[in-house]
Amino acid sequence: MNDVEIIERVKKVISEVLGVDTDKIRLEDRFVEDLGAESVQSLELVAAFEEEFGIEMDEEKALEVKTVAKAVDFIKEYLKK
Amino acid sequence: MKILIYEDENWINLTPISYLKAVFELRCGFNSILEKIISILPEGEVILWVRDYLKELCKEKFNYKVNEEDFLKDDVLIVNGRWLIDRRVELNLKEERVYLSNGEIVYGLLKKESVNKYWNGNINDFLKILISNVKKEDTDFTIIRFPWNLVHHNSKLIKFEFNKINKRGISGKFSEKACVYGSEKDVFVAQTAEVYPFVVIDASEGPVYIDEGVKIFPFSVIIGPSYIGEKTQIMPGAKIREGNSFGPVCRIGGEVEESIFHSYSNKYHDGFIGHSYVGEFVNLGALTTNSDLKNDYSNVSVYLNGKPTDTGELKVGSFIGDHTKTSIGTFFNTGTIVGIMCNITADNILPKYFPSFVWFVSGKFMKGYGVDYSLKTAKIAMERRNRILLSSEETVIRKVYEMTEAERKIHIEKSRKISK
Repeated sequence: MNDVEIIERVKKVISEVLGVDTDKIRLEDRFVEDLGAESVQSLELVAAFEEEFGIEMDEEKALEVKTVAKAVDFIKEYLKK
Repeated sequence: MKILIYEDENWINLTPISYLKAVFELRCGFNSILEKIISILPEGEVILWVRDYLKELCKEKFNYKVNEEDFLKDDVLIVNGRWLIDRRVELNLKEERVYLSNGEIVYGLLKKESVNKYWNGNINDFLKILISNVKKEDTDFTIIRFPWNLVHHNSKLIKFEFNKINKRGISGKFSEKACVYGSEKDVFVAQTAEVYPFVVIDASEGPVYIDEGVKIFPFSVIIGPSYIGEKTQIMPGAKIREGNSFGPVCRIGGEVEESIFHSYSNKYHDGFIGHSYVGEFVNLGALTTNSDLKNDYSNVSVYLNGKPTDTGELKVGSFIGDHTKTSIGTFFNTGTIVGIMCNITADNILPKYFPSFVWFVSGKFMKGYGVDYSLKTAKIAMERRNRILLSSEETVIRKVYEMTEAERKIHIEKSRKISK
């Protein structure tokens, strides 16, 4: 899976969970401050990323991820494993 | 004589409320099973025997030896830690014999020689060997086998213990505008308790015991038999129906019937809880409600040890493990089991089983923020009530996290498949 595809799929998941249009999601966006994620939605995001990419993330490390770009990097690390 | 109070392999049938506690710590009536057992014992050194992972925690909690084989040095009175003392008991200790209830040992006197002959270091083997080799006698004593047994016996226990303790009348601050319906002989209000105006204590069908430091705020009704534990607060307008036992430092509002709140738990707001056992440091959000009766009046089944189990009871509510929290508007189905340290948010029809440490969000099981986060939250909740999380307690919680990991994963996976 290449970077573009990962970014597209990450944005798709964010859009589904947070109800934000994919074309309005930027890599530098912060989940809470810019995209309006509530604390419970961050859990939903982790679960949705795991489902989308077929990975199992460390929940505590995953919740330290604050921006879309960091989420992409974080997921890429898991996909390499 | 040594006295060995033990829990055996059947502790698992009392989960989730027994995950962080020995079975004899569970409450019914006025206090714990252990306190009741201690009250009938003869002179002798008490030794507790618990599952391995609770050993260090129990050593810190109790002033007794734990899992030490000292009892091999003397004659031993063995006592099942699930024996509910619900009547006046005189132990028969004249000769070596074990007393059974439905095939389980309730108590027994063993000679030193027999103990040394049959003990192999494993309590479960030991009990089986004793049943086969020692003189035995059947009894109808009450052994707690499942969580709903505690709820079932609660009213009877409150009546029995009220008469046993025999404290009656109003010692505490009791507003002129509050009233007792029934006889004051069936009410006890402790010296430091406070009953506010427009409270009704209805003791017409059973006694009401209000312990030290309790506050009962206006417009509440407390129907007997009920026991309100030390420093518990009954919030304004609460309907405390019959058959309730609240351990120390709970905050209870809304409508509660035939339920046990272990201690330090909050159900501050409206909502109905019936025929339930709520663990320690549980917080039930506003309007959290459980069903305790099926619409077709059939027996309630409960998901226990991975399979549905017929409780044989028509009224069964929820069994909620320690440190679990529910959101506003959570509606539990009849006979629901909720593990320890769960976070449940409202949904249309909730599952009947929640593995420990799960988060239930938007109709799906999720793994949440992990055990460290749960521990951090538990510490904050405990500090708010001047309690600290012992390091041995933390070790136990981590152990239960490991033990329950497989079932958590199964539920999370299943939940994802269903949502696709």
